[in-house]
Amino acid sequence: MLRSSLRSQPVFSAARFYSTGKPDIKLVAELRKRTEVSLTKAREALAASGNDVNAALDWLEQDLAVSGAKKAAKLEGRTANEGLVGVCVLSAGSGSGQGAGRGSTRAAMVELNCETDFVGRNELFGRLLADIAHTAAFIAEPADSEDLLVPCPLDMLHDAPLISSTDPSVQARATVASAIRDTIAKVGEKISLRRAVTVARQPFASNELGLRVASYVHGSVGLPSQGRIGTLALLALKSNSLRDVLSKPDFLADLEKLERSIARQIVGFDTQMIQSSSGEETETALYQQPFMMFADNPQGENVEQVLRRWAKEKGLATNPESEGLEVIEFKKWSVGGDEVSALGA
Amino acid sequence: MFRSQLATVNAVARRFQSSLGFSTCSRRSTLPSPPLASTSKTTLSWVARRSYADAASSKFSRAKPHMNIGTIGHVDHGKTTLTAAITKVLAEKGGAKFTDYSQIDKAPEEKARGITINSAHVEYETDARHYGHIDCPGHADYIKNMITGAAQMDGAIIVVSATDGQMPQTREHLLLARQVGIKKLVVFINKVDQIDDKEMLELVEMEMRDLLSTYNFEGDHTPIIMGSALAALEGRNPEIGAEKIKELVKACDEWLEIPPRDLEKPFLMPIEDVFSISGRGTVCTGRVERGTINKGDEVEVLGLGENIKTTVTGIEMFHKELDRGEAGDNMGCLLRGVKREQIRRGMVVIQPGSMKSVKKFQAQIYVLTKDEGGRYTPFMQNYRPQLFLRTADITVSLTFPEGTADAAEKMVMPGDNVEMVLDLVHDVAAEVGSRFTLREGNKTIGTGIVTKILELA
Repeated sequence: MLRSSLRSQPVFSAARFYSTGKPDIKLVAELRKRTEVSLTKAREALAASGNDVNAALDWLEQDLAVSGAKKAAKLEGRTANEGLVGVCVLSAGSGSGQGAGRGSTRAAMVELNCETDFVGRNELFGRLLADIAHTAAFIAEPADSEDLLVPCPLDMLHDAPLISSTDPSVQARATVASAIRDTIAKVGEKISLRRAVTVARQPFASNELGLRVASYVHGSVGLPSQGRIGTLALLALKSNSLRDVLSKPDFLADLEKLERSIARQIVGFDTQMIQSSSGEETETALYQQPFMMFADNPQGENVEQVLRRWAKEKGLATNPESEGLEVIEFKKWSVGGDEVSALGA
Repeated sequence: MFRSQLATVNAVARRFQSSLGFSTCSRRSTLPSPPLASTSKTTLSWVARRSYADAASSKFSRAKPHMNIGTIGHVDHGKTTLTAAITKVLAEKGGAKFTDYSQIDKAPEEKARGITINSAHVEYETDARHYGHIDCPGHADYIKNMITGAAQMDGAIIVVSATDGQMPQTREHLLLARQVGIKKLVVFINKVDQIDDKEMLELVEMEMRDLLSTYNFEGDHTPIIMGSALAALEGRNPEIGAEKIKELVKACDEWLEIPPRDLEKPFLMPIEDVFSISGRGTVCTGRVERGTINKGDEVEVLGLGENIKTTVTGIEMFHKELDRGEAGDNMGCLLRGVKREQIRRGMVVIQPGSMKSVKKFQAQIYVLTKDEGGRYTPFMQNYRPQLFLRTADITVSLTFPEGTADAAEKMVMPGDNVEMVLDLVHDVAAEVGSRFTLREGNKTIGTGIVTKILELA
């Protein structure tokens, strides 16, 4: 429809508009296709730049900073409880990667909120979240604290240059905060960064110790790394033969499978802690739950038993007393909900 | 399970009431039949809920066909204002009770997430139809309400502001409409008084038609009405206010199609029980779900591996013989030349050829949360609950549709809306749109709607 009417419009009409300085309807349409800005804005931009699309694009970019901020301020008081949790794992830990970053751990989980799940399902929102998660993982600093999973200060994240998740080499043109503002201007809903958590760790000096990061998000619509409930979990590995087993591709594939199962188990069940502190049986302790999310579990063993058996079978632990693998930390978020955070013994 | 059944009872009862006006079968009014009793009961509670007791509105007639309609659009584009404006304009003609902006917006149902939308909290009547109007709060909420039968949209009004034009999420609005099976839409371009350039309005319309076509709605023919809901609500500028609202309502009447009423659909009676009456033959009993049947009609008995063609030689209700049965009747059906052993609960008696027996289908399922009485834990592929479809009770195996990534590792959690493939142990009569529930032990764990038939028996 649009196309056909564009075609039928005689050339002189453009010229007529040009002479009066009135924005050309064709150019307004084109500008909207390219930028998704509102109609009024597109028109304003063309009027201000004398019907030159490229100039209008520049004008829009500058204007977005002002109008986006205005719009954001206007929407400030509204509640944003929908949205997505997004996870970005840049380096999964021991045995992963090549070169300088080999074996290091670097990952982030971010929650971005909006007002309706219609916006949450939109591609623009998903892309923004993916970029923010990528940025958070990228800027994470190794923490001095006991905990490895540390909250990323939102002020710092807001001011960080946004790194594209699809093409990290692109020169950043905006900060996280300004990218959020731009999206607000486009979708007209309040969008806010609720929380971010990161892990960054260099490989351990000891050859016997390893760290791995496991993640899962449930309820994805667009990107598989984004959903309504998500978790980041850390696994510690200890073995005299760690280097040897990690160099085997089969072992790594099995390990990744186990990690996915653990992350699913944390999300799928009402998991509140890793081990019950009092030692009593409880459904909310990960280690005491029957490991239903692990396919190779015909006996219905609990997570702790499966971890022991797995370490032995896969050659990780020849001496079960001092070797094996443990879940040491996890955080679980659901959109708009509370945080579940747990530390291992 | 019960809730969805209740919902259908309601709908059927309402339609009865509406058909009573011109009812051709006078026996309904003389017989104290249970369906009739339930009709009056539902109507009573319905009236009470609506605080509609004053004398003037007791004239309220159910003779017009009913349709459920919804507004979809961006939060700031004026959905609530439009809804209020429609009730105001129609109230002048006596077709509605004016529902103010604040009354609509304050509805606690709209605020509290996850709770069923009260599907009839705004209603109005045009010359041709009676409408129940809902606001569509969000994608996941609406899908859940639709699957559980709590809310239904047969058609929708997409609201777009002239100042913004369509927005990125307008695509998501149209996708939802597509997903829930809405075939036709009406577009209202709001706030036209804020745009003085006529060509801009044309652009909004063109873009909208383009987008509608992209999502397979008839973009070129969809009515697009431009006006100002606020003007209509404030009673000013009738040329963009009240007149446009009337135009919008007229477009709804003319463009949106009413789903066929139960009485007009082909006959279907799920079999609840089977008896053998000596000297007469086999009688199966059940509550007619839709359509009508006359003595002597040919029927097909379908499901659970059987497909029997036979003739109805007698219809009986309350120990009295009848010539005709219709939707809502609890009746017995005498079948010619059929043995009792051939028929079981779970099969259906239908107008020949109107339905097929299926072995495998795809469905949209809502998995109940623990608070709703469902499962506590997730499940994975090849989960085997019991399927309850009408009176049938069949073991079923759930898998993800072909082409799902990581299907072997994927899990389904309580509270999820999910598309799955159901493989039945026995075949059962079903079609796209059939509702069912899934149970495990004594728990209802999910409810769903058939979306695609994959394998016939």
